[in-house]
Amino acid sequence: MPNAQFEHKWGMVADLDKCTGCQACVIACQAENNIPINTKDYFLQRRAYEWIRIERYWEGEYPNVKARFMPVLCQHCENAPCEPVCPVFATYHNEEGLNVQVYNRCVGTRYCINNCPYQVRMFNYWHPNWPARMENQLNPDVTVRTRGITEKCTFCVQRIRRGELKVESQGGNRLNDETIAGGNYDPACVQACPTNALMFGDLMDDNAAIKPYFDDVNAHPGHGEHDRETRGYRLLEEMATKPSVIYLKKVDQYPLPGKGGH
Amino acid sequence: MKLSRRNFLAWAGIAATGAIACNLFDDELRVQSPALIPEDLVSGRDNWYATYDISTPGGQGLLVRVMEGRAKKVRGNPRFPTNQGKQSAAADAMLQSLYHPDRIAGPMLRTGPRGSGQFRPITWEEALSRFNAAVDTNGNRMLLLTDGRCASFARICGAFAEAFGGRHVAFGGAADDAAYRAAVQDVMGSGNLPYHDIAHADSLISFGSDFLSTWGSPTAYQVGYGQFRSSDYTHRRETTHVHFGARYSMTAANADKWVPIAPGAEGYAAMALAWGIAESHPESSYVQAITGEAGPGALSQFAPDANAGILGIPAEVLDGKSLNDFFYGMAHDYAAHGGLAIGGGGEAAAYSNGRFNASAVLMLNHLMGNVGHEGGLLPNPAPPITNPSPVPLVSLDEWRLIAGDIGSGATGLVIIHSGDPVHGLPAGVGMADALRNENVAVISASPFIDDTTVMADLLIPDRVALEDWGDDTLSPAPGYQVYAVQQPVVNPLPDLDPRSFPDVLINAATALGRADAMPSDSYEAAIRANVEEALGADFTDTLKNGGWWDEGATGSAPSPSANLLNDIVSMAAPAQMHGSGDFQLLPFAHNTVLDGRNAHLPWAQNAPDPITTVAWQTWVEINEKQARDMGLREGDVVNITTSSGTIQALAYLNPGMPPGIAAVPMGGGRAAGSEFATGRDSRESSNVVSILAVAANDAGGVTWSGNRCTITPTGDSMAVSKLEGGYTSREIGEHPAEQVFKTVSAEGGGH
Repeated sequence: MPNAQFEHKWGMVADLDKCTGCQACVIACQAENNIPINTKDYFLQRRAYEWIRIERYWEGEYPNVKARFMPVLCQHCENAPCEPVCPVFATYHNEEGLNVQVYNRCVGTRYCINNCPYQVRMFNYWHPNWPARMENQLNPDVTVRTRGITEKCTFCVQRIRRGELKVESQGGNRLNDETIAGGNYDPACVQACPTNALMFGDLMDDNAAIKPYFDDVNAHPGHGEHDRETRGYRLLEEMATKPSVIYLKKVDQYPLPGKGGH
Repeated sequence: MKLSRRNFLAWAGIAATGAIACNLFDDELRVQSPALIPEDLVSGRDNWYATYDISTPGGQGLLVRVMEGRAKKVRGNPRFPTNQGKQSAAADAMLQSLYHPDRIAGPMLRTGPRGSGQFRPITWEEALSRFNAAVDTNGNRMLLLTDGRCASFARICGAFAEAFGGRHVAFGGAADDAAYRAAVQDVMGSGNLPYHDIAHADSLISFGSDFLSTWGSPTAYQVGYGQFRSSDYTHRRETTHVHFGARYSMTAANADKWVPIAPGAEGYAAMALAWGIAESHPESSYVQAITGEAGPGALSQFAPDANAGILGIPAEVLDGKSLNDFFYGMAHDYAAHGGLAIGGGGEAAAYSNGRFNASAVLMLNHLMGNVGHEGGLLPNPAPPITNPSPVPLVSLDEWRLIAGDIGSGATGLVIIHSGDPVHGLPAGVGMADALRNENVAVISASPFIDDTTVMADLLIPDRVALEDWGDDTLSPAPGYQVYAVQQPVVNPLPDLDPRSFPDVLINAATALGRADAMPSDSYEAAIRANVEEALGADFTDTLKNGGWWDEGATGSAPSPSANLLNDIVSMAAPAQMHGSGDFQLLPFAHNTVLDGRNAHLPWAQNAPDPITTVAWQTWVEINEKQARDMGLREGDVVNITTSSGTIQALAYLNPGMPPGIAAVPMGGGRAAGSEFATGRDSRESSNVVSILAVAANDAGGVTWSGNRCTITPTGDSMAVSKLEGGYTSREIGEHPAEQVFKTVSAEGGGH
């Protein structure tokens, strides 16, 4: 931890009412995190690397049809199923609430991938490579992962660390929503999202915009869902993984025949 | 403090190429020029430079992270008035043009037959000598063909062509929007495209255009859409978005309600809503103004029940109401209360009646009294610079004449820059055949090979956006004057030797004794003059901000002309379709590849389509039930045949697509160029524009939405490259390699 003066627990909120499925987050993540080009073959083998992906679900059929978009990334679970199964402690939970993958510990058992209910962990089936000239654009802050190991979303930990260094260690001020966004310390997907469907913040900061959603969901867990004041919920909540990502339900003004509101 | 070389750079502020760092992220930034940083400098510090991307629809203000002389990442410029710190996937992908392996490294001369793609490197001295000689010889028969850039680029190109008696024309791309531009002139009384203030609208009614993906200024509109849907912790704003359209697009998918209509019926749908507004609010001063005090009767012919066949709206979406009641209710509920009508352009304007469609949608905003107000349609003022040099776009008929002149040799010299009309115009226009005329010299300044550039005799590659100057007045601007500046943020890599095309033109004019005809001594000087002389602004500050804008310099709301309604009524006609067949062919601009201009960018290709999740391939979306009735399965290779030709594509069974619609993305089927654009066979990568009829709409543009087609299975099929779905598990032993293992095992050997 670069600066023990301030404690953090990072979290994210994804508002499905605002997500348009535009893919800006996907490509921003790919650019920031040195994710290899997903070739056609990668897609055909269902091995495309996307640390954040847009899932599209169909409801109904023409003419009463809806396509729903949902950004899915590592949920940085508090009770992460991927963590206890790693035989070499390559994945663990750090003190800031991040589910961390230590690349040079990983031996590629893929137990974590099997145990992740969100399917957000990727295995490097190939050596990462780019056309030689394109290596110039690789982000020097992010490790290029080798073949045979697992990788996944880090909440752009390199940006968080930079913010902690610049704002907290050097500036003496606690990171907050304003300084995170103003300093480009938010994850690349959050920064790019044109509709601000993705929000990022520190749950240890009482003024963080995302905190009330977590407070509401935490106060009404499980079957208390209907008592929630916000649209918040966690993915696969019944598995008690306690993700650090909360989704806000789509507001459905014109529900499909036979479907309720949101 | 001793003024060392390094801290001099830190303080100097401006240097040779003048790239100026913005000072947005205080601790990250120093004001310096990357042009003077030694290539081997390892400082571990990054710098952010403000610039602009004109290659994406509407343009986007960007910040570029530069480290050790290399651009690492682009992001939206938080200060920029349209995209407000956000960027599209296509803008992120733009970075790859900088370090692309298939860039034309330097000047080259054709060695093989025309169109063969065989070139050899030459020196710039030889290239410019040949260029100058070609202009000197055939300047008065010169066609300078560029992409749709305006401002200084267009001004220099126009001046150069005029100086030698030639002509400058621009190709705005395959997704031609001529009818929308004409409609804006008709309804707004100005050629400046208006801005849709989605952020502050109470309700949104869109017609055809995919404004969240590719039409208008989609990133700015997405930013507005996020505010349109903003919420506090417990409640979302009471906003509603209804979309009328023939295709289940990304915008249709995001609307609260999608109302499917027949292809080309956008204008009738807008007029039906106009009828509803007039009927429900006959006393409205706006209704009185538009109808010339005739009231609802002036719109009676557009009563939806009377036009049910044209509208083609399925009864299932009408909530049990008649068409009249449905539109009346919609008008009463929200169209007349702060409603913003958006669209009418893009695919809605690409029918034979495109001008009517777009005019009707624009007029709706007048009828709702929502022009020139917050949350409404914001007219834009004239661009802030004194010589904005509009883009010389031309009609489809003119393209035919241009192709004829090239083919006949009446045009003696074609100079191409980035526009790719061979790929982006229907094949029937004959541009590819015309360019095969060996008596016409063809020179290309494009940084990449494409289907037009491959026909060149001489390549004089331009710099790409992050290496060069540029400017734009935005189309549409956000309701007030904006002048965006693109500055060179990095130098070309040592193994690349491109030259700025406007500078090449200025130098050629000088060498040929026509320096007097050029607006400035250099591309940079033209932009600097715009900033310092026309705008009276500080050049350094403008570069730091990524441009100049004046929120007070707004457009004035036009009063609708007294004849507006009559003019629109006189244009009203159902869309005429070309050819025959069971399907209506609806091409659409790809979310990231766009009309094909980004086909060489791997990030644009590997971004899954939002609706189908397909990447890299060309697919045809067909209603799922209809496809199954035809015996089609996903991945079946089908022939798509119009009156003008046949292409192949992979079937994608879409539960949302209306029956009888065949929706195909643009941008595939490149014949020449980067491996990322061409590396797939014709079954899975094809150019849908090539099979469109050569038919102009009511504004002279291409009717790229107005073609009928047949779809026939070929019996062949391929796996669809897409994100959705799982990997089908299978029995071990099916794969040939596993059969060997099995055989060995069966014999008791092996493992």
